Amino acid sequence: MDSTLFSYLDYAVYGTAVIVMLIGFYGAMVKKSLLKIVIGLSVIDSGLNLLIVAIGYYKGGTAPIFSQGFLENFKSVSKMTDPVPQALVLTAIVIGFGVTAVALALVIRLYRHHGTLNIDEIKNLKW
Amino acid sequence: MVGTPVLFIAIPLMAAFLIPLLGMIWKELVRIVPGLVLTYLLILSINLLDHVLAHGPIVEVIAGWGPPIGINLVFSALSGFLVVLMEFLGLLVWAYSYRFKRNVDYEPALKYFLMLMMLITGSVGIVLTGDIFNMFVFIEITSISAYGLTAFYKGRNSAEASFKYVMMGSVASTFLLLAIMIIYAQLGTLNMADIANKIHLMNPTLKIVSYIFFVTALGIEAEIFPLNGWAPDAYAEAPGPVGAAFAGIVVKAAVYAIIRYTYTIFDLSGTFNFLIIIGMITLIIAETAAIRQEKLKRMLAYSSIGQMGLVMVAFGFGTEEGVFAALFLMLNHAIIKSLLFFSGSYLTYNSTDKKISEVNGMSKFLPITSLLFALGAFAIVGLPPFAGFWSKLAVMTAAADSNMILIMALVLIVSVVELVYYLRVVNRVYFYKKEADVKPKRPTVNALIVMITLGAIILLVGFYPDAVTGLLHKASAGLMDKTQYIHNVLSVR
Repeated sequence: MDSTLFSYLDYAVYGTAVIVMLIGFYGAMVKKSLLKIVIGLSVIDSGLNLLIVAIGYYKGGTAPIFSQGFLENFKSVSKMTDPVPQALVLTAIVIGFGVTAVALALVIRLYRHHGTLNIDEIKNLKW
Repeated sequence: MVGTPVLFIAIPLMAAFLIPLLGMIWKELVRIVPGLVLTYLLILSINLLDHVLAHGPIVEVIAGWGPPIGINLVFSALSGFLVVLMEFLGLLVWAYSYRFKRNVDYEPALKYFLMLMMLITGSVGIVLTGDIFNMFVFIEITSISAYGLTAFYKGRNSAEASFKYVMMGSVASTFLLLAIMIIYAQLGTLNMADIANKIHLMNPTLKIVSYIFFVTALGIEAEIFPLNGWAPDAYAEAPGPVGAAFAGIVVKAAVYAIIRYTYTIFDLSGTFNFLIIIGMITLIIAETAAIRQEKLKRMLAYSSIGQMGLVMVAFGFGTEEGVFAALFLMLNHAIIKSLLFFSGSYLTYNSTDKKISEVNGMSKFLPITSLLFALGAFAIVGLPPFAGFWSKLAVMTAAADSNMILIMALVLIVSVVELVYYLRVVNRVYFYKKEADVKPKRPTVNALIVMITLGAIILLVGFYPDAVTGLLHKASAGLMDKTQYIHNVLSVR
């Protein structure tokens, strides 16, 4: 009973992450506005980060912070969730932020140059 | 030993972020400091490579956490060779741009040199690291500085080219992170040697999925068809020396990452055939596209993509000879294509469109630059006395030894196509009359020294290929010996 519930939760979280990523891909590939494309790319990142955190989690795990009361309450370090994916997500968030900032700076440059955000009208280079 | 591999990352990163502060003291420091740093790193890399060839690979443990827990840097014959190549080209790009950017203001020069340093650091980091997530971080450092450098000139369509690159690059980073997480979820480790050790425990389907994600992500940086849509625009719109840095440094790092995953980490069957197929498709499409180009830099970009395809084919043989041929091609492509970008950007210096028709009759006004461009063109096609000949010959012998006659024929046909489009440009440079409204720009002293150095190296490798083949043989043997790599890394405590 408990294990089936766990796997449903598992699928729900992974499924949500994948759906968020697909929404991001939809935005990045289909939308015509440069800003929406950048938002789409950023949504893909969010979905991926959700997925990574979900990989490190298991049911009943606590935050991987070693404190005084920890051993008394949980008796074992193995009750902690995996800290590595969380560290990776922190790095990935920072990198995603950097990429989004660069992309937005380029959108501003493109807008000043062409006076539009529509990707169909910006085609001095063949897309 | 005079230093450790970690200096290749620590020193340029520190220098890159100190440049703005140093620029406040004396503006010229912005230009001088990167050169000093790159010179030091070049000397250090040559020293370390010397040490490694005599005593075996250096495995550097970062922050006291030994493999497989912490991050480690591996300076072997292969990565050492690539690091020397990258630092050397980085130094040349710096020397070439020292006065090339003289006429622009202080602030653009600051950004240019800062991003150039980050680009080189990221690429060197990709080659040195022994940890897949660390590699992801370095790939992002490289790509973000590459986006910035592509968008450097405000006048051109550079923002458009750069935005294209950002779109593809961020999708690439998504796939890369996904592939890394699949491996981590399955094996619980991020260390390359440890993964290679445990890869047989992985679910076969997920193994293929993550390999495909890796190749998709890295293929975007390594210009593999059909993921190279950004490359021609980025090369054409970026400043000339940056094109040389892309072709010589960034792409080499990405190709290294692909072969490291293929040869060391994954044990899938059929990946070598996969490399041959994507390499051949890239080669054919890029060379046929190159022949149709009207702009010089786009033509060079497509030629660069084609050469990378050939490198992939050579790596796909899966034999030590194939790896040797591929490494030789990478070396030659790095020096020759840099020379072509360096001289080509002076041939079309004052034109806005950089059309091939605008190089007409330049030999009378820029004799040395034209001569060096012709030298580079002959060398990359693979005419006998130059460096390119030996690498093409190595590819042919490797193909013959693997019984792949069709690939030999293909390489020869492609060489003819290359000859056609390069000779078209050389012909215009030497035998056409100059158009009246084209104003040639004399190369600066630094640029001339850089171009002549590269020309001399091409001739040196052409006449004495033994100068590099010993090192390349050691590097290819190192790549083939997977168990030795795993042992070297995991035995470090």
